[in-house]
Amino acid sequence: MVNVAVIVKLEPDFSEGNVSYNPDGTLNRAETKSILGPHSAIACNAAFYTKITYGSRISIGTMGPPIADSALRKAQELTDADEMNLYSDRIFAGADTLATAEALRSGIVKMLDGNKIDIVFSGHRASDGETGQTGPQTAWKLGYTFLGNVIEVNIDLERNYVIVKRLVTLQGFDGIVEEVEAPLPVFITVDPSYSPNYRTIYQRLAFAKYRKEAIARANNYKQFLKIYDSKSLGVDPKLVGLPGSPTIVYRVEKIPKAKASRKTQLIEGQDIDAIKSIVPKLRPIVS
Amino acid sequence: MVTESSSNTSGGKFRNLYVVIEHIDGKLVPVSLEMLGEARRLMDYFNRRYQESERVVAVVLGYKVQDLCQQLISYGADVVVYAEHKELEYSRNTIDTKVIAQISRDAGLAKQISPEYIPPYIKPRYMFFSADSIGRHLSSTVLAELESGLASDINKLVISDIDFRHEHKTKGQTIRYERTLEMYRPDFSGFLWTTILCLDNKNPEIMRDYHPQGCSIIPGVFNAIEPDIAREGLILQYKPTIDPEDLKVKVLSKQLLKKKIDFDSHRSIVSMGRGIKEDPEQNVKLIEQFARLLDAEIGISLPLSKRLYQLSDSINSKYMIPERVIGTSGSKVAPSFYIATGIHGAVQHIAGMKESEFVVAINPDENAPIKDESDIFINGRMEDVLPIIIEELQKLTPIVSSLME
Repeated sequence: MVNVAVIVKLEPDFSEGNVSYNPDGTLNRAETKSILGPHSAIACNAAFYTKITYGSRISIGTMGPPIADSALRKAQELTDADEMNLYSDRIFAGADTLATAEALRSGIVKMLDGNKIDIVFSGHRASDGETGQTGPQTAWKLGYTFLGNVIEVNIDLERNYVIVKRLVTLQGFDGIVEEVEAPLPVFITVDPSYSPNYRTIYQRLAFAKYRKEAIARANNYKQFLKIYDSKSLGVDPKLVGLPGSPTIVYRVEKIPKAKASRKTQLIEGQDIDAIKSIVPKLRPIVS
Repeated sequence: MVTESSSNTSGGKFRNLYVVIEHIDGKLVPVSLEMLGEARRLMDYFNRRYQESERVVAVVLGYKVQDLCQQLISYGADVVVYAEHKELEYSRNTIDTKVIAQISRDAGLAKQISPEYIPPYIKPRYMFFSADSIGRHLSSTVLAELESGLASDINKLVISDIDFRHEHKTKGQTIRYERTLEMYRPDFSGFLWTTILCLDNKNPEIMRDYHPQGCSIIPGVFNAIEPDIAREGLILQYKPTIDPEDLKVKVLSKQLLKKKIDFDSHRSIVSMGRGIKEDPEQNVKLIEQFARLLDAEIGISLPLSKRLYQLSDSINSKYMIPERVIGTSGSKVAPSFYIATGIHGAVQHIAGMKESEFVVAINPDENAPIKDESDIFINGRMEDVLPIIIEELQKLTPIVSSLME
């Protein structure tokens, strides 16, 4: 039996029509509702793939305020998780990535009654913080091999290995798909371009069955939910939240407008003749 | 105000700026030289200001990498530390993290790097990585191993002394933090800058040193210095200790990814941003038609790659993809013609298109930053302006357009 964990995050919904900004350009958190982050959802899809293909057990974890349980509910709907864990404590607030990783590490070792987790999945990056650091830092603290930008996951159950494909893109070079094998346990962040491929009839049947079960479970998600505070997690309060964060946000400001680099000819949108007059300038491109 | 000199600046326990270099197939990734350029500028200032002689140390891991070392010196490194090993030929996170941590902590090496400093040496003062698919993760794991702070996706750096008061870090007292690296990162909107600091806990209850102050740097934002082949520097080979357990992680194959989008082979690029929002499906179709008439490739702004709009699957999978993003998180382009439709002009986007020869922008907001980057700015909505241009283009180029249809 493969034990799989997914680390998810409740994030502001940045999709058009749902996101709201303050006049100064900062996010209006009160007016913007929160959802399971889109990259978290992709990590859930990868975990669900392992359930369908290898019959894994799934545990979901998130650090956040009590309302973050809505992200867990959605994650359960996507994965048919057997268990969900909310790590919630005032002292976790304001944590940077290193302090967040410490809380998540403590949570992951307690998952599935303390059974060893073989694969942890998480999103590529959060859409609000956008650092992409929490995943690899949690992996390091767990002592798990870290594999980032993963686009395909296969498990070799006999050898207890994963074989993954990952995307490597470097400035000025063509992208590379790298095939890597690693012994379990591993920590995987899933690339945004990941999409599970259900080829066999068996997979498709399992997909339908588990999806149905997932929806039923998510409707009673509280039954599967465990809530931890810093005490029940057993974390050192000096290593989490603000006290455990090496970094702080010192200042937020508007990026000053760069000096105009070109002499701009302004055309009003109603001035049809003026608009038409620019077309000959574009013409050399076609001819 | 209580001022207290930062204890860790005396004696050089934490010293030098380490830059983790990336290379592939014997070639340096450009960001490595850009990081060295910025490191050079910062440390020249640092040494002048504080009367120190701290070094820019380039750290290279790999196999047959000696040839790169002299190049790194000519681009501004004072010292190159290279770990040469067959097992370091491909980047693997665990092994690389451990070797970089060994180099960072090695007091003997630090003595060779700057013999004039008196021990003890503990760790580097500052550390740079590239914010790409190797450096982003490597920076995270190295700083987790070194138990210090990291800021990602930086595009501006300043060294300064900061008077700072914080409930936890200083227990409410104002304390001077000398030699602090102010790390600026543009946020997701592209219009706000957040300054991140990595600061020691001076509060007696949670006292702790946080060095190195680490960051990952966006490729393409800093300038490399003019290489000087006469520049002298110290090149040191490092013998890494490799745990055989870690060799179980193996790179089985590498396959070159065919670029789906080739901006370079087109003379013009039409790009679209959030301005498609009022009728996304229809507006994308307008842009398609326009681009076809110009034989242009189609680009998008970063937000569109996050699939903000209800669009048909065919349009989503064809256009709303990271490969089409123009800007610091995508491609840098320099076509003869760049036509930005419904793009506001976040700094990241501007950085990706400003080298274009002739720029036309269509936008209903006259205050949009893209205006200052355009030769012609049409103050209007794309759904109103594009049909006029398209009609006119069709008149002028009937033969070409009928062939393209």
